[in-house]
Amino acid sequence: MGKVLVVTSGKGGVGKTTSTAALGAALAQGGQSTVVVDFDVGLRNLDLVMGAERRVVYDLINVTQGVIKLPQALIRDKRLENLFLLPASQTRDKDALTEDGVARVIAELREKFAWVICDSPAGIERGATLAMRNADAAIIVTNPEVSSVRDSDRIIGLLDSKTVKAEQGERIEKHLLIARYDAARAARGEMLSIEDVLEILSIPLLGIVPESQEVLRASNIGSPVTISSTASAPARAYQAAARRLCGEDIEMTIPSERKSLLGRLLGRRAA
Amino acid sequence: MSGVARAQRAMRFRGRSYMAFVLTPEPPLADWLRELDERIGNSAGYFVGRPVVVDLSAVALSGAGIAHLVSELSSRDIRVMGLEGADPATLPPGLPPVLTGGRAASPTEPARQPAPAKAEAPRVASLLLDSPVRSGQSVIFPDGDVTVLGSIASGAEVLAGGSIHVYGALRGRALAGTHGNPSARIFCSRIEAELLAIDGYYRTADELDASLLGRRAQAWLADNALMIAALD
Amino acid sequence: MNLFNFMRRASSAPVARERLQILLEYERRMVSKSDLVAVLRQEILAVISRHVAVDPDKVQVKIDRGSCVSLLEVDVEFPNSSAARA
Repeated sequence: MGKVLVVTSGKGGVGKTTSTAALGAALAQGGQSTVVVDFDVGLRNLDLVMGAERRVVYDLINVTQGVIKLPQALIRDKRLENLFLLPASQTRDKDALTEDGVARVIAELREKFAWVICDSPAGIERGATLAMRNADAAIIVTNPEVSSVRDSDRIIGLLDSKTVKAEQGERIEKHLLIARYDAARAARGEMLSIEDVLEILSIPLLGIVPESQEVLRASNIGSPVTISSTASAPARAYQAAARRLCGEDIEMTIPSERKSLLGRLLGRRAA
Repeated sequence: MSGVARAQRAMRFRGRSYMAFVLTPEPPLADWLRELDERIGNSAGYFVGRPVVVDLSAVALSGAGIAHLVSELSSRDIRVMGLEGADPATLPPGLPPVLTGGRAASPTEPARQPAPAKAEAPRVASLLLDSPVRSGQSVIFPDGDVTVLGSIASGAEVLAGGSIHVYGALRGRALAGTHGNPSARIFCSRIEAELLAIDGYYRTADELDASLLGRRAQAWLADNALMIAALD
Repeated sequence: MNLFNFMRRASSAPVARERLQILLEYERRMVSKSDLVAVLRQEILAVISRHVAVDPDKVQVKIDRGSCVSLLEVDVEFPNSSAARA
């Protein structure tokens, strides 16, 4: 039986989809069968970040409505045979997703995969609550910035009330993933520090992903950053986070870009 | 002395609880409405003047469906003053508010009895929260003190009939003594509150003395004025 | 090797542009076909306009999707003087 994770944040644009793709690929690279599921109905992005946008035929809503069977909608990644994608619908809206339909699909995915990672849309309405509803654990992606932190806190509150686990009186596991961290700005006091964010949110830290141009590049070419540039700082952060999810005890560090020779010659600063 | 008395606000906020009747419609709605009509037929005016809350958790209705149900009830002289078990985001405007935190209570007999002003039971009840109160959450405990082992986040609120003790940062709203208890107090390890109130007398973040911010503090009522002082 | 990296790095934007052009062309076609609300609104507006002069902004069409049954809501506002034909 697999584990269901929801990647959520409240605030938009903080790195949920990037993180879902990167973590999913990292877990698959580690040999675990993984499926990433896009819950952002009408504004799908996960297929784009995974580079599968031209192979989408069926989507989550087709499956929840019983129009087709789950295996027909799953798209296998061309680079990693353990990694699959279940895309969202682009033409429908969130009302077409039903609680029962989602529960059935998640249950079926749980039987087929070791990891089911649900990419939540931004916000706190139906799309986000549906994505979290059947999760065993949540990864809350937060940028070290005031609105993001407050929205993450709101989402953490919802995780304790809108999930099946919460309704059954169980605590849902919560992991904080700090994304777009800039060590230089934090050192200058221009950005909230890790300690600030941890103190306010009070949940265990899963990883710190530094701001990097590699993320944009990865999404431009349609590949999770952990596949397209495995040695880059964000990729290494995601790999460590994936290993922590599997129970490994890895020391928390803030990876920084190794300066290339050209970078040193041109005096470019580490990202 | 920092945080000394300010001019009293003209407006007070109070908490009060009333008992309401809960109607729980069950599908199919047409049959349920017919049954309701039969009951009303047997005791005319049963619901007149009584506050009624509709619990929607047994039916799956859209926003428009809920509005239709409320108007059906209203045409039977049933004034719906609140809804339970509905998602406020899906409701059209103009409907009664969505309520949470209702407690079961045995209803009085159909013969109308004035709700007696109960003598205050000795206040021994107290609520302990062992995790932070998150943004958007609202904790309401009229029966006594509330103790939070953690912070109250910005955008969260705690309302207590007694005192509020926060072993963490108070960044949200704390309203103590909500049932007319002027001796209630608010304590916290770090004061960064959005709003503090005791027995209806309140002060907002703007009015908090800057020298107090981030310190251990307590708030209490003296001569109908809200006082806040550091606990260092 | 670093020169390679530098050049590879600079070229990801054209890849993105090409992917988007292909994708969006396809999606625009899809969306216009299946946007039921927009299609209904156009057609309802056309029908009403044949009989009554009406401001397009005052014609609203909404679909409220329930779990078994959906509700179509049509809201049309027109001034009394424009009820031209009987």
